[in-house]
Amino acid sequence: MGEVKLFFGPNHPGMHGNFSVHLYVEGDTVVKAKPLPGFLHRGFEKLMERRTWFQNVALIPRICVPEPDINEVCYSMAIEKIAKIDVPERAQWIRMIVLELARIANHLWSFAGIGGPLGLYTGPFWGVADRDRILDIFEQLTGARIYHMYIIPGGVRKEMPSKIQDMISQTLDYIESRLPDYENLILRNRIVQTRLKGIALLDRESALTMGVTGIGLRATGVPYDLRKVDPYLYYNYVDFEVPTATEGDAYSRIKLKYLEIKQSIRIIRQVLEKMPEGPINTKFSDGNALRYRVPKGYAYVHVEATRGEYGYFVVSNGEDKPYRVTVRGASYPQGLYGIEKYLPGTRIEDVPIWLDTMGVCAPEIDR
Amino acid sequence: MTIFKVAAVLLTGFFVGLTLEGIARKIIARVQRRYGPPWYQNFIDVFKALSKHGFSHGWIFDFGVLMALGGVIATLSFVPLGNLVAFPGLDNVFVVLYLFAVGALGMAMGMVGSGNPNASIGVARALTQMLGYEVPYLVSLAAIIFYYKTSSISNLMNLQADSWNLFKMPIGAAVAFISLMGMLGKKPFDTPIAPAEIASGPMVELSSKYMGLLMLMHTFSIFVEISLFVDIFLGGGSYLVFLLKFTVVWIIATLISAVLPRFRIEQVVKFYWRVPLGLAFLQAFFVLIGWVF
Repeated sequence: MGEVKLFFGPNHPGMHGNFSVHLYVEGDTVVKAKPLPGFLHRGFEKLMERRTWFQNVALIPRICVPEPDINEVCYSMAIEKIAKIDVPERAQWIRMIVLELARIANHLWSFAGIGGPLGLYTGPFWGVADRDRILDIFEQLTGARIYHMYIIPGGVRKEMPSKIQDMISQTLDYIESRLPDYENLILRNRIVQTRLKGIALLDRESALTMGVTGIGLRATGVPYDLRKVDPYLYYNYVDFEVPTATEGDAYSRIKLKYLEIKQSIRIIRQVLEKMPEGPINTKFSDGNALRYRVPKGYAYVHVEATRGEYGYFVVSNGEDKPYRVTVRGASYPQGLYGIEKYLPGTRIEDVPIWLDTMGVCAPEIDR
Repeated sequence: MTIFKVAAVLLTGFFVGLTLEGIARKIIARVQRRYGPPWYQNFIDVFKALSKHGFSHGWIFDFGVLMALGGVIATLSFVPLGNLVAFPGLDNVFVVLYLFAVGALGMAMGMVGSGNPNASIGVARALTQMLGYEVPYLVSLAAIIFYYKTSSISNLMNLQADSWNLFKMPIGAAVAFISLMGMLGKKPFDTPIAPAEIASGPMVELSSKYMGLLMLMHTFSIFVEISLFVDIFLGGGSYLVFLLKFTVVWIIATLISAVLPRFRIEQVVKFYWRVPLGLAFLQAFFVLIGWVF
């Protein structure tokens, strides 16, 4: 059998999102892989330069579909840093709740994502259904399920509804009670272990050279988590651990996701206890917010997304619109360089496993 | 009379097969905590697909699909369903196994004729997998044929009147069941159609009528495979008792597949040639030295 070109995406059941990889295969083995982004290119960064500071709040969540809140937090924190705005304490705690809920939701979705490539279709249905409960919280809290536009420069948009704390606690209890099921279905499943252990390997040196962060790096034994390394919001006031593994394979990455859900639940419970009463945003502009001008300056802020370091570099020249905004997509290194470098030699079966456990997210590459 | 019996066998295959597939979808849905389609969904699917205008990929493609369906229908008419035997005296294990290959080869030919690389990879995987499960299956069948000194399925059924082969030769029955999972293409052995890897493999270029015909072929093959297992390992009995046993086997296979992921193709073959083949030889050895319960 000669070399065959296989279009893996954008219309392929094993592909997450609008992204394509052209695979050159011999039999079942990949000889060459070429990532082809661009199907989702909306020019987010350029669009931001044409919109006012506050109009952008509605645009930025679209850069990352599974976890939109990191964009809002990064963008708001960058503006606050440039304009030296003090954010009320309560708002920062609420932001932490939103971020951690989004992390749990994304990891649950990731269990769904790994189910597809493995053929374990019970995972997707369970994962998506449980994630929906978190979306219910978001709907109560922000009015929207996916793109919340809740975190704005200066704080958050609205006070939390009165009974939302009970709802969050109950949902966390529920998710915690479901975790053993996921462990039995996925992590302790013998065939899953056969399929994932030693697959999609990434060693520490390559991960550091490419700039892979997040779970991809932590699975190689480097405890690099921005919440610990460079704490933002109030992450230095809560207790949590950063799970790491040393194998650097697909199984350890999935296991880390599972362990991180537990840590996120722990963080949210502490936040609910420690959160003070008080104002939820700072009024820093007189009159029309759309005419607000951020003083001249620049700032880089980053947060720990589920896939790694997610950063915004914002430059203002004192106008009513940003001069330049650059987004560091967390999955950019593994999504472009990783595919080209590490897919050759693997089997077709392992291609979607690489894409899923590395969290390759097309809009981050196409921003 | 024979023609009525053949019609009865085929109609059973059609109605019971499609109904049980629908029920399996419902069962899997409940495992996955969702509502699931109605039990008659597969009838709707088949009739809808058959009623639409299709797109052909050349005569090899057309011929392959018809050969697949024809081969499987021919095989089914030789399989005894309890005491309903269409061709008494001809219902031989070897007849069924050889005729069954015609359907598989027809499908392979037609799907490769579609020219899609995904289909070619899928067919290559299907044939590789067949190599994996056929060997342990045939070894365990050979042990049974040696023990009873007959290869007629009806005779094998009647000879189990006192005790089923499931209890007489439990290891062989386990091997046959694992092989059955591979034949049915149930997880963990659904590698040939793996949607996330090769976009459903052989079926990738099928539209409308062709899809409908292949769905029917799939239903009939499931019926042949499980019927063979039920006849050989779960004893004889009347037509209704047979259908009851058939349903139980099908539901167990469905439940197992609902919580397992799929193997890679080389893991499939490695698994079959290591565990079930070893067990099959063990069973054959026990039969040779007369250790049968």
